[in-house]
Amino acid sequence: MEGNKKRLSRRDFFRLAGIGIGSAAVVSAAKPMANPSDFKGGTFSDPAGRPNRPWWVKTVDEPTTEIDWDVMERYNERTGTVRGPGMAGYVGDDEVDRLSDVAKQNEKQRMLDDVDGYTLKDQALKSSHVGVGRSFLGPQKAKTPEDRGVPKWEGSPEEAARIIRAAMRHMGASSVGFMELDDNTRKLVYGVDPDGKDVIFTDDPIAEETEDARMVPNAAKYVIVYTVQMSTETMRRAPTPLASQTTTLAYKRGETIQASLQEFLRGLGYQCLAESSTNALGIAPAMAVMAGLGEMSRLNRLITPEFGPMVRVFKAFTDLPVAVDKPIDAGIMEFCKRCKKCAEACPSESLSFEDEPTWETRGGWNNPGHKAYFEDAVTCRAFWREQAGTNCGICFAVCPFTKKDKAWVHEWVKAGASTAPVLDSFFRSMDDAFGYGTQANSEEWWSLDLPEYGIDSNQPVMEA
Amino acid sequence: MSEKYTIEVKKRPWYEWLLWALWLLVSLFTLQNAVASGTELEPRAATIFWIVFVILVLGGGIVWYIRRDN
Repeated sequence: MEGNKKRLSRRDFFRLAGIGIGSAAVVSAAKPMANPSDFKGGTFSDPAGRPNRPWWVKTVDEPTTEIDWDVMERYNERTGTVRGPGMAGYVGDDEVDRLSDVAKQNEKQRMLDDVDGYTLKDQALKSSHVGVGRSFLGPQKAKTPEDRGVPKWEGSPEEAARIIRAAMRHMGASSVGFMELDDNTRKLVYGVDPDGKDVIFTDDPIAEETEDARMVPNAAKYVIVYTVQMSTETMRRAPTPLASQTTTLAYKRGETIQASLQEFLRGLGYQCLAESSTNALGIAPAMAVMAGLGEMSRLNRLITPEFGPMVRVFKAFTDLPVAVDKPIDAGIMEFCKRCKKCAEACPSESLSFEDEPTWETRGGWNNPGHKAYFEDAVTCRAFWREQAGTNCGICFAVCPFTKKDKAWVHEWVKAGASTAPVLDSFFRSMDDAFGYGTQANSEEWWSLDLPEYGIDSNQPVMEA
Repeated sequence: MSEKYTIEVKKRPWYEWLLWALWLLVSLFTLQNAVASGTELEPRAATIFWIVFVILVLGGGIVWYIRRDN
């Protein structure tokens, strides 16, 4: 007995207590650590409402994607893209019809066979997301200052940026940035919208939409770019309808935010011109890069420091002057040079394996004038139809930047990748070793108690 | 008849305290990642972090036990 008492000396007691307290602190810290964007509570420390980003996210004068503005031209989204009728331009109508038939047959057969991720309930969920509708000019139902008999809202560009950020975060946007249209950046605006209407800049101060064109006032030169987060836990079921429905949901949420934004700015006395259909008006990833929301990547899509590639990007033009943002360098493009995980995982081998980005495009679906990892959009889209039977998303799911926000190690790795590119290959190897990005069971998803929208984030709305 | 005893008290050098502090920080970091990886539904990452954590704790315990009377 005496011996036992001696063993628990005061020193040992305090040591054990220290360990116990430390462990308790760690366990309690298993909830999300401080968000890299500092979205939680408090007030904006920046006059324009810019979030406090991690120290390793640096603002730069030029984006990490090299751009040759003299080569770049405004893109024809109607005929250039593989979305919609553009695909036929590359493979012919017969092939488009064949792919559609195969997709329909597979969809039905997989439902009948009860294939995980392709069952009726998965398809039903994917079909359930409906939006409020998109339009260039907006719903135009909100009362204007004129209707209320008051002058329109006035404030500095910083104040304007801040209140738009606050409003849009409240509407559900994950991040918001601003850029300005000048002679160069206007080239990121489509020359022709997906529905075939020309997008024309005009001296007329009031925006207008005709049967053939959408008229953008030169004064509406401020671009609001925003992201909507997708569910990482859902996307890791890619490629299935279950996984792709998080994309659909994000687009529909973006649609609702767009309408709300248009009405909010109308209520302030300003115009807000936005997407007439999904991905219309301009090149979203490029605008997001210019607005400092993220960097281009081997996916040839946007990767954000906060959410990785797990976002959908939207844009709107306004004549309310706002404080614009600068591009960022978070070491993402540099990491992509060594990683190649997405390219290795791509089942249709559509992503680039080049060590360095190139000026050479892969086809008309790419817009020349920037140095990028160009993808083969035709083989990608054909895989969607012929094999996956839905949007794919494997490249999003496996990307090492696609991480949830609970384990501290993710922030450390992102900081390390940003500051010590020599470690990038090691980080990629560890990403594999730790099992990140592996496909998860789709049927299991229906038993998960996921947070709102399936988003694993420490956004205030998720902290119930 | 008196007996004389000499008690020698060895103070731990500063670097030993630093090493123990480092061990504690690494252990806490690993524990946080182990617990959080579980909540992130990343079983393989959680397993690896738990294994590392257990090794760290056992290793620290063994070192402490061996050196406790020095």
